[in-house]
Amino acid sequence: MVANSRLFWLARRLASGVIVVWAAATFTFLVQCLLPGDRAQIIINVMTGNVGQASRQELAAVNAKYGFDQPLGVQYAKYIWAIGHGDLGQSYQQHRPVAEVVAEQIGPTIVLALAALIAAWLITILTTVLAAGRDNIWSRLLGGVQVLLATLPPYWLATILLVVFAIKLRLFPVAGGNSPIALVLPTLALALELSGFFGQVVVSEFTRVLEQPFVTSARMRGMSDLGVRFRHVLRHAALPGITLSGWALGKLLSGAVLVEAVFARQGLGGVLVTATSTRDIPVVSGVILVSAGLFVLTSTVVDLTYGIVDPRIKLT
Amino acid sequence: MPPSVVRSLSVPLERPRRRKRNAASIGLALAVLPQIGVMAAALAQEGLADSAKRGGIIRYGHFQEPPCLFGGWVQQWYLQRQYSDNLVARTQDGQIVPWLATSWSISDDKKIYTFEIKPNVKFTDGTPVDAQAIADNINGWLSDSPDLRNPTAAPYLTDSFESASATAPLRLRITLRTPFQPLLNVLSQSSQGILSPTALKRGLAANCEKPVGSGPFIVEKWNHGKDVIFRRNPDYNSPPATAQHQGPAYVDGIDWRFFPDQTVRYGSLLTGESDTAYDIPSVAWKDANSRFTVLRHITGGTPLRLALYSARPPFDDVLVRRAFAYSADRKAAIESSFLGSLPFEGNGALSQSSPEYIKELGQSYPYDIGKANRLLDQAGWTEHNGQGIRLKNGKPLLVRISYSSSFLKPDGEQALQVIQQQAKAAGFDVRLQPTNQADFFAGRNLGPNDYEVALLYWVAPGAEIFRISWKPDLNGQLNRFNPSRYHDLTLWDVIQKAEQSFDGAERTALYQQAERKLVENAPAVGFAVLDVTLAAQLNLKDIWLDRGSVGEPVFYDAYFTGRK
Repeated sequence: MVANSRLFWLARRLASGVIVVWAAATFTFLVQCLLPGDRAQIIINVMTGNVGQASRQELAAVNAKYGFDQPLGVQYAKYIWAIGHGDLGQSYQQHRPVAEVVAEQIGPTIVLALAALIAAWLITILTTVLAAGRDNIWSRLLGGVQVLLATLPPYWLATILLVVFAIKLRLFPVAGGNSPIALVLPTLALALELSGFFGQVVVSEFTRVLEQPFVTSARMRGMSDLGVRFRHVLRHAALPGITLSGWALGKLLSGAVLVEAVFARQGLGGVLVTATSTRDIPVVSGVILVSAGLFVLTSTVVDLTYGIVDPRIKLT
Repeated sequence: MPPSVVRSLSVPLERPRRRKRNAASIGLALAVLPQIGVMAAALAQEGLADSAKRGGIIRYGHFQEPPCLFGGWVQQWYLQRQYSDNLVARTQDGQIVPWLATSWSISDDKKIYTFEIKPNVKFTDGTPVDAQAIADNINGWLSDSPDLRNPTAAPYLTDSFESASATAPLRLRITLRTPFQPLLNVLSQSSQGILSPTALKRGLAANCEKPVGSGPFIVEKWNHGKDVIFRRNPDYNSPPATAQHQGPAYVDGIDWRFFPDQTVRYGSLLTGESDTAYDIPSVAWKDANSRFTVLRHITGGTPLRLALYSARPPFDDVLVRRAFAYSADRKAAIESSFLGSLPFEGNGALSQSSPEYIKELGQSYPYDIGKANRLLDQAGWTEHNGQGIRLKNGKPLLVRISYSSSFLKPDGEQALQVIQQQAKAAGFDVRLQPTNQADFFAGRNLGPNDYEVALLYWVAPGAEIFRISWKPDLNGQLNRFNPSRYHDLTLWDVIQKAEQSFDGAERTALYQQAERKLVENAPAVGFAVLDVTLAAQLNLKDIWLDRGSVGEPVFYDAYFTGRK
């Protein structure tokens, strides 16, 4: 019975995931049709580095090559059919399969996003467990610092971290590529802001749980303050934070776009910035579709995690 | 008929005659032995010096990553300069010298060019660099195929080019319908680097990713979003006459890294993570000059200029165009915004590094608000609205300036804001229309009714750019490269005469006549020069900018001293 309901839940999640991805695909197709400017014109101008109206012959050749001369309905049907078969199309500017472009760059972005997520959680847990709910200056400071961190734009923070720790103090490389040491500053640029969001949610819940009778009971059994905070309070207080993690992944992916550009890191960010600035719609669509897929996957994982953290929660 | 232009490096070698008089031979041998010894010592020293220069990878920090490793955008020329060779080269003073062609001749009617191609040169995929390979390239540039058409060569040559063919394995013929003297200039630019025809058959995708030329470096791998790895071509034997040495490059390769953020780019040089970096930020200009070897080239062709839309009011009136030019202190705006790192250019027609540049035109239309007001009164813009904006027939004197950050450095936007404020005092309602790169390429804010001023440029060695900028719309063909929409058939006539003149002095005089006419009529007003700047660590020697072309960095002669 339990197995059946779980399967049903998974099937429903899968179906809703497909709808999300289809909606994202339709949205990106509509966007490319509705954006001002002729697609063939942009392709020619980006390739040649010019602006201005291309000749009819030049436009006709490009329109024929990419099928822009076909009715929009046909173009849409072909686009959705191709996506259904795992074909994200060809990049207008790089002239190679979008799947290849995305596959090449997604690794460093996922590494950066996961590193930032972990770092944000570590910062949140340590600061919350050590300082939250105490009657001292650190506890009061914590709230203010978290609000400040949550409002810091990652792009600005990334530039400051780069100038101070890489260029001035030379503790980290300015352009270390994808090496582990080069991951530190971009990770911090993303994680500090995120820890501000996590912190505000977790601290609020943490402070509430601290006043629950089972906490007093644990203390009376002789458990140390840190032990109570780690083993009992944190587990209850973490749930809203876990819910936020699904949202955080989307935020990290968008934040990574800017942070990767600052630190000249490989990743989907750089690809998306270039593709957007050259209106390379198949690549933009590909990145959006993959991001939508990742978002669906993460939401599912987050929902599954609830049951592990709090067995009282049932998936319906 | 004797060829009218011949350049040759090839010197015929005579086989020494066998001498019968042995004694005389011995005597001669004894006499020349010391000289041979000196020569051998010199050669050995040179060899030693060359071997000491060998090795190392140049870590180069560049600005923009192009979508393809060759093409018409100047960002692509920089890359192509490293892996391909051109038919001819151009020196800094505008002389055409051998490269893949060892010599050439031009027929008396100036319509047939015959090139002798350097023997024993191969593309790095093994395909021979012969006349047929070069003809295939040139014919492809002028074809309608989107995979082969060359967006730089085509607007120059479409009107005059007839065909390119191989008349012998190492003899290339280019036939023109009408004489076109700048042909060799066009052929010397990096976007006209010759690529392997075998490789070109692989299609655009493969060629964008890994183009194959015969140049000193080979494209090893393009790590998108990160860098392009070049490795040394060990068999390189076709340097241009402008190069400083023969044979393969000294360094083992180039790590051509893309750092779009200028803080990172210059920062990587400060921390020693880059050996050389492109485009020194204005704020770091003085610092760079005190720490590094700094190279700068002001590109030829057009400067960064304000193209005034001349096909409708208000700028269809030359008096209003001139008034706009006088209404703002463009020189002070540039100098203060760029902190003195970028020179002002008052000549809107031609950049100061072009051989045909007229120096006195560089200070055209100095700030003179009184003159601007008088000209506007004269043009009938005599009424004012409540905000001080001039009116004519009830319409305000509106000037919308369209520009894109991809064509303008951040400091340039500040200069435009200064112009906006100053021109208001003369009664212009100047509105800035910043446009992102994608929208700009899509034509946003560039339609016939979308702007009064567009900020654009086109780099080239010299005044041959006039054909591209000022060719009028003829026979239903729109010249998309003329954002001023300025049509002057007498100007076009002068430009065509210049292009067909093979007398250097006469040609320069004709181009200068066109240049004066352009400045006088002000369809484009000068703004700033375009420059290529490069800073290099002190242990990296002999990088040079190709000043005969558009200042592409050349790493072929570069070498490290000490640490590699």
